[in-house]
Amino acid sequence: MRKVHLLTMLVVLALVISGASAALARQQVTITLMGWSSSTAENDALMTQVDAFMAANSGIKVNVNLVPEYDPTIQAAFASGDPPNVFYVDSSRLPDWAEAGVLASGEGKIENLDEHYESLLEAFTYNGTLYCPPKDFSIMALQYNKDMFDAAGLDYPTPDWTWEDLRAAAEALTGTDAEGRTVLGLVTPPNFERWLPFLYQAGGSVLNEDWTEVTLDSDEAREALEFYVGMARDGIAGPPSKVDAGWGGEAFGQRRVAMAMEGNWVIKYLLDQFPDLNWGVTELPRHPSGGQATMVFTVCYGVAADNDYPEESWKLANFLTGPEGSTMVAEEGFGVIPPAKSAAEVWLQAISEEYGAGFLAGAPYAHKWQFPVGFGEVFDTFNAGLQLAFDGQALPEDVIVDTAAVAEEVLAR
Amino acid sequence: MTEATPVAQKKPPTTMAAKKRQEAIAGYLFMAPALVIFLVFLIVPIAAAAYLSLTNWNGITPVFDEEAFSFVGLDNYSDLLRGYHTNEAGEVVKATTRQKDFFIALKNTTYYVLGVVPTQTILALILAVILNQRWLKAKGFFRTAFYFPSITSSVVISIIFMWMFTRGGLVNTTVQAILPNYESNNFVSWLDDPRGIIHILLEQFGVTRMTVGDWASNRVFGNTLWEWISGPSITMSTIMILNTWTTIGTMMVIFLASLQNIPGSVYEAAAIDGANAWQILRRITVPLLRPTTFFVVTLGLIGCFQVFDQVYVISSGGPAKTTYTIAYMVYLNGFDRSAMGLAAATAILLFAIIFTFTLLQRFIVKERANV
Repeated sequence: MRKVHLLTMLVVLALVISGASAALARQQVTITLMGWSSSTAENDALMTQVDAFMAANSGIKVNVNLVPEYDPTIQAAFASGDPPNVFYVDSSRLPDWAEAGVLASGEGKIENLDEHYESLLEAFTYNGTLYCPPKDFSIMALQYNKDMFDAAGLDYPTPDWTWEDLRAAAEALTGTDAEGRTVLGLVTPPNFERWLPFLYQAGGSVLNEDWTEVTLDSDEAREALEFYVGMARDGIAGPPSKVDAGWGGEAFGQRRVAMAMEGNWVIKYLLDQFPDLNWGVTELPRHPSGGQATMVFTVCYGVAADNDYPEESWKLANFLTGPEGSTMVAEEGFGVIPPAKSAAEVWLQAISEEYGAGFLAGAPYAHKWQFPVGFGEVFDTFNAGLQLAFDGQALPEDVIVDTAAVAEEVLAR
Repeated sequence: MTEATPVAQKKPPTTMAAKKRQEAIAGYLFMAPALVIFLVFLIVPIAAAAYLSLTNWNGITPVFDEEAFSFVGLDNYSDLLRGYHTNEAGEVVKATTRQKDFFIALKNTTYYVLGVVPTQTILALILAVILNQRWLKAKGFFRTAFYFPSITSSVVISIIFMWMFTRGGLVNTTVQAILPNYESNNFVSWLDDPRGIIHILLEQFGVTRMTVGDWASNRVFGNTLWEWISGPSITMSTIMILNTWTTIGTMMVIFLASLQNIPGSVYEAAAIDGANAWQILRRITVPLLRPTTFFVVTLGLIGCFQVFDQVYVISSGGPAKTTYTIAYMVYLNGFDRSAMGLAAATAILLFAIIFTFTLLQRFIVKERANV
C-alpha cells in the first residue's frame, strides 16, 4: 500500500512540475541563431550583442549555434523542415534560398532602412523583394607594400590610378628578394569574383539588368581578361601559388608580392600575422576611360519562412543590424565592416583611418557578388579556363566565349 | 502458493512444416536488430536516392513539402550522359557542362583508380611478405608504423600533405638539397598544376596539342580526345601518392593475416624441391593469396572510386577541374549548385560503376582460379 502511495505522489509531482515548466515556457520563447564561426574575437562580440539583446528582451532566449561547414549544415536543416529561426545568409546564396522558399520576406519587417548602404540592401533584394538586413560587409581594395614602393622610387598608388599605372608599377616592382626568390608586382587569384571588378571598370557586364540575357561575350570582357591574364603571362603578376602562398593576403604578408587586391578581411590578418609589414591601402585602379568599380561581399541575418516565432526573430535581426547592435561590433574594429552607416564611422575610428578608409571608400560604387541559381557551373568553367590561360594553355578570348555559352545554358534551364 | 497449478503444456508442433516456420520466425527475430539497422541506414537511403534522382529537387526546400520537387523522369541521367534533355514541350534543353563535368570526373577517377589500386596492392604485398620473414626484428614496431596512417584522420593527413607539398614546402626544399639544379623559381607546384602527366611526357617527345593532328579535337562525351589522354594532373598525382600511402597499411595487415594462414609445410616442401625465394613467392605465396588479393583489390577499387575528403580538403576540384572526382561532383551538384536531383543521379551512376567493376573483377578472379 505504501508503495502505491509513493508512486501516486511521484506522478502527481511530475505532473505539477511539467505543468509549471510549460507555463514558464509560454512566457520564455527560445529562438536559435545559426552562423559560421569566424575568429574567437568575433564570436565573442556576437555573444556580447546577443546578451545585450536578451537583457533588453527578458522573454526571449537566444541559442547561438556557430557551426563549421555552414552550407551543408544549414541546407540539411532546411531540407528536413527544421531550420533555425535566424541565420547568416551570404549574398551569393540568397537567390538559391529565396527561390527555394526558405527565407521569410523582410518587406515591412526590416527597420532602420535608411541607416544602410543602398548597395547592401540591393544585394539582399531578389525579384523585387527585400529579404534580410545586412550583417556586415567587405570591399575589395588595393593593398601596397610601402617599403617596396620606396625602394623602387615609385609614388604610392592613389584612387586616380588607371590600369596603365597598375601595370607599370607591377612591372617595376617585379624582381627577386634577398634570398633569390621571385617577387611579383601583383597577385591575381584565379577566381571569377577577383576579375569581375576589371570587367565592370571596363564597362562590361555578365548579365543584363533583369538577368534575362547573357552579356558577357563582349569587347569589354575581352579587354578586361586580356589585361588580367596579360600581366600573368608577362611574369609581373600571378596566382598566389606562384609565390608559395595559399591566398593573396598571405603572399602580400610574406613580401612575395608588392600589391594585392583583397577585401577588408585582410586588415586584421596582416596586423596580427605580419606586424612589421609597412603597407597602405587605396581604392582599386580605374579603367583608362575612368570607369570605377569594386566588389562587395556581404552577409545578412535571414529569418526562416518556416518559423514558430517570426516576431521575435525579426526583433533579433533588427537589433543585431541596427545602430545600437552594430556599434557594439564596430567598436571592436574587426576585419568586417558593420552595416549601419553610423557604425561604419565608428569602425573606421576603431581600425584606423590609415587601413580602413581605402576599403570603405568603395562602398558607394561596389557591385554585389550575386548571380542566378546554378551559376556555380559558370564560375567553375571560368576559373578552370583562367587557370589554363595563366599557364598559356588557353586564350582569354576562348575563356570568355566558353563561359558565356555555359551562362546561356544555365539561364535557359 | 502451496498448491501447484498444472501449467498448460505447450503442444509441440505437429508437422515438419510448422516446425520449420517456427524456426524461421525465431531466426528472423534474432536477426531483427541488424536487419532494422541495415534497412533504415542502407536500403531506405539508397531507395530514396534512386527516387530523388528522378526529380528536380534543389536540396533546400523541405523534402516533404508538396511543391518541393517535380518528377522529371530520366532527365538528370540524360543531362549527365548525353548533355541535354527534352522538356515537356519537346524542346531540347542543353546541359553540356553537366555532361562535360561528369566525364571529366569519370576520367580523373579512372586515372586515379588505375594509378592507386595496383600500386597499393603490390606495395602492400611486398611489405607484408617482408614483415612475414622470420629474421625480421621489431615486427611489432614496423606493423604499427605502416598501419598508423590508416587509422589517422584523412583530413589531418591531407592538411599535413598540403604543408609538405606547397611550393616552398618540405618536398621541394628536400629535392633542392639533393639536386642543386632544382631552382626555387622552377619548383613544381604540386598542389596547383593542372598539366596532365601524360601531356607532359608527350611534350618531351615534341608531341603537343598543336602538332598531334586534328583527330585530337574530336569530342567524345563533351571532352576532346586530347583532354581524355591527359593523364592525371600533377595535383591529382599528389593526392594519389597521399592515398596510396594511407591505405597501404590496411592492405598490408590483411595480406599479413592471410600470409600467416599459409601452412609452413607448403614452404618446407617447396624448399626440399629446390625452389628459390622468387619461385616460392611466385608459385606458392601469390596463388595461395588469391582470395585475399581479390578482397584487397575490391576494397581498393571501392575506396578509390569514392575518393572525396582528400579532394575536398586539398584542392576543391581545382586546378582547372583536374581533381573533380565523381564523389566530389555529388557534393558539388548537391550543395554548391543546388541540384540535389542531379547529385542523386550522379551517386546512382557511381554506384552502378562500382557494382559493375566488382562483378567484373569477381568474374575474372573466378576464371583464373578455374584455369
